[in-house]
This record gives sequence, structure tokens and C-alpha cells, in this order.
Amino acid sequence: MELALPSLPLANLLGASAQTITVSEAAAAPAPVNEDVELVARTQAGDASAFDTLVVKYSPRLYGLVYNMTSNHEDTNDLLQDIFAKAYRSISGFRGKSSFYTWMHTIAVNMTINFLKKRGRRFHMSLDDIDANVQNDKEFIELTSSSSSNPVREADLSELQQRLNEAMMKLSPEHRAVVTMFDIQGMPHAEISKILGISEGTVRSRLFYAHRQLQNYLEEFRKK
Amino acid sequence: MPDKFDEISKLLRLKRFEQPPPEYFENFLSEFHRRQRAELLREPLWRIALERIGAFFGEQNASRFGYGMATALVLVCATLASMNILNTPSGGDVETSGRVAVATPSVDASIFQNAQSPQQQTASLNLNNLNARPQIWLPDLNEISRAATAHSTAVASSSRPRYVMDARPVSYEPAWSF
Repeated sequence: MELALPSLPLANLLGASAQTITVSEAAAAPAPVNEDVELVARTQAGDASAFDTLVVKYSPRLYGLVYNMTSNHEDTNDLLQDIFAKAYRSISGFRGKSSFYTWMHTIAVNMTINFLKKRGRRFHMSLDDIDANVQNDKEFIELTSSSSSNPVREADLSELQQRLNEAMMKLSPEHRAVVTMFDIQGMPHAEISKILGISEGTVRSRLFYAHRQLQNYLEEFRKK
Repeated sequence: MPDKFDEISKLLRLKRFEQPPPEYFENFLSEFHRRQRAELLREPLWRIALERIGAFFGEQNASRFGYGMATALVLVCATLASMNILNTPSGGDVETSGRVAVATPSVDASIFQNAQSPQQQTASLNLNNLNARPQIWLPDLNEISRAATAHSTAVASSSRPRYVMDARPVSYEPAWSF
């Protein structure tokens, strides 16, 4: 299925038309490296508009990462602004040992985890609306198929959204991060391990533990 | 991954469809610029300068240790410079010639005689009358305090009391005189 991105003024200036990409491509593929290298070099040379291009490029993806960890739109907005501000202040020290993609995600994950630890249990969910294209998603169709043993068939979509987010909030920030990056954003284990600075084995074990916890919380949605 | 977790993964993948309003990302960049300008106006000037200096040294690959050493060196030089300024002796005040500040009037005059140069013994001060009738004049107190500071270590280490003639340390008297 395809997900239409909103047409952006800067994209028009750059000569790009509104893009359509598949959800799996948007979630899994890292950005082209050469373009990022050039934009980072121009930013370090003092070209602020190059950083603007990077902001436009990475804000949707980083929004998804932060939002699924915080489940709060307002906190996500504030955090995202702080993340890009910190990236701009620190970009002169970026030496290219990792890709800019990995570097940005590392900043985003670390700042979000620190925010969640400070916030503690004092939070309320402020959820975004589910895009209408979910109705065409293959997995959603499978989940809501007319199987008699599938409880999701009867569940309201907003209730499903609520339950999922509640279950996610019960995980620790570190476990929530790996679930967000692997299950929601479709990143491979290797990329997650680079971003978090842990081994792939640790990524797998955290995923296993988090899935088991979520399964316990969402037992009514599991097939009998 | 065990099959029983596939359902969980599928449910979680649905979360990618939770999106902000379409205009959110269109306005994000302008909001980012607005916040950056507001933050710049809020920051005190010294912090901006400190960040610029830190960024400069960061670009130069200066280690933190080198940065701290440089700062310490500047502070030491500033301290030494200020001490040199304070220790600079002032020129003798001609108007105060003949006026003496006696530090220890109760001390036996013979001790002073040994410490003085020959011309000092012919000074206007009558040392023989020191114990009998000590007299104290009060010249410019600022000059006395400067002289006292300059020779405080010498006084502490010396077993003999020192005194100042004409608000200038005795040791500064030239060895020769005409």
C-alpha cells in the first residue's frame, strides 16, 4: 500500500514533487548516505539551509520514533524541537564515523529516554488520529478478518489504539525503544544495536522480553 | 521469533498509522526557526560567548585537559601580574621626610643602632630618647600599609624589629650617600 506524504514548500523549492512511498520502504530503508554527507558538510561550513533540508527529511521519521515512545503528541513536538536544536549545536563535532541517520536517531532515542525517566509515571496519553489508510493495510485486514477466534474483529479501532499504547507504556523506556524501532519502524537488529550502543544479542533479548510482556498485557488479542 | 509473538508484532505495526495532522510537518520547520530565535534572545551574552569558545576549541580538537590548563595558566598569570603591581614600591614622599613611624617604641634603642646604616644614625630621630619618651607621628597611612605589606615576610623572619623611616623601607636606602 502507499502512503501519501504531504507536499512541503521546501520540497517544491528543491524541485521535488509530492512523493508516494510504500509504508514498508518508509519504515525500513535508511536515507541515502551521499545526500546526507553533502548536507552535513554544507551545514558544518555554515549553510543553515542545508540543515533545514535535513530537518524536513528526518522530522517525519523521528516524530514516529519519539511519539511511539511517549504516546503524547505535545511532548513529542517539544522533544523533536529540542532534538533538532541539539543536533544543530553538535553537528560541528560530527565526524562521520557513523551515518547521519544513525547519529540523529541516537540523539533522539537518548533524549527521549532521559525525558521519560524524568517524567516517570506522571503522564497522560495524547494520541494522534489513525490515518485512514490503515483500512487498506494487509495486517489490519488479517487482524479484523471474520475468524471466529479473533477478538480483534469485534474491537473498535480507537480502543485497539488505546490498548496498544497502554501496553507500550508499561514497558521500561529501554524496552519501549527497541520495540518502537523494530516492530513499528521496521529497523533491522544491526541498526538498532548501533543506535543504542548495545550488542545485537542484547537487542534480541530485550525484544523477546518486551514481546512477552506485551503479550501478557494484550492477551485478549491473541489467537486461541 | 516464536509464532506467538507474530500477532503482537502485527498489532504493533499498526501504530505507524498514528499520524499528526497533515499540516504539522509543513509548519515544523518554521516553528523550529521561531524557537531558535527565541532561545537565542533568551540566552545571556556570556553563555553565548562560552558556547562559541567551546565550539572553537572543539573544532581545534583541543582536549578538555588542554582547555583547563590554558584557563589555569591565564589565571596564574593574572594573579602574578596583580601581585607585582601591589609589590611595586612607591617613590619616597619628599614632604614626609623627617617624619618617622615607629613600629615598636618599647624596644631597646641599641637594637636599632645595629640595623641602621651610618647615615641613619645621624637622622633627626634621637634614638636615645626612644624608650624615655617615645613619640609617634602618623604619616600617610596608605604608604605605611604598602611598606608593611612589602616587608611583612622580612619582619616575620627577622629576629630584630624593623622600622620605617620616611615611609620607606630601610633596606631601600642606598648603601652610599654623599
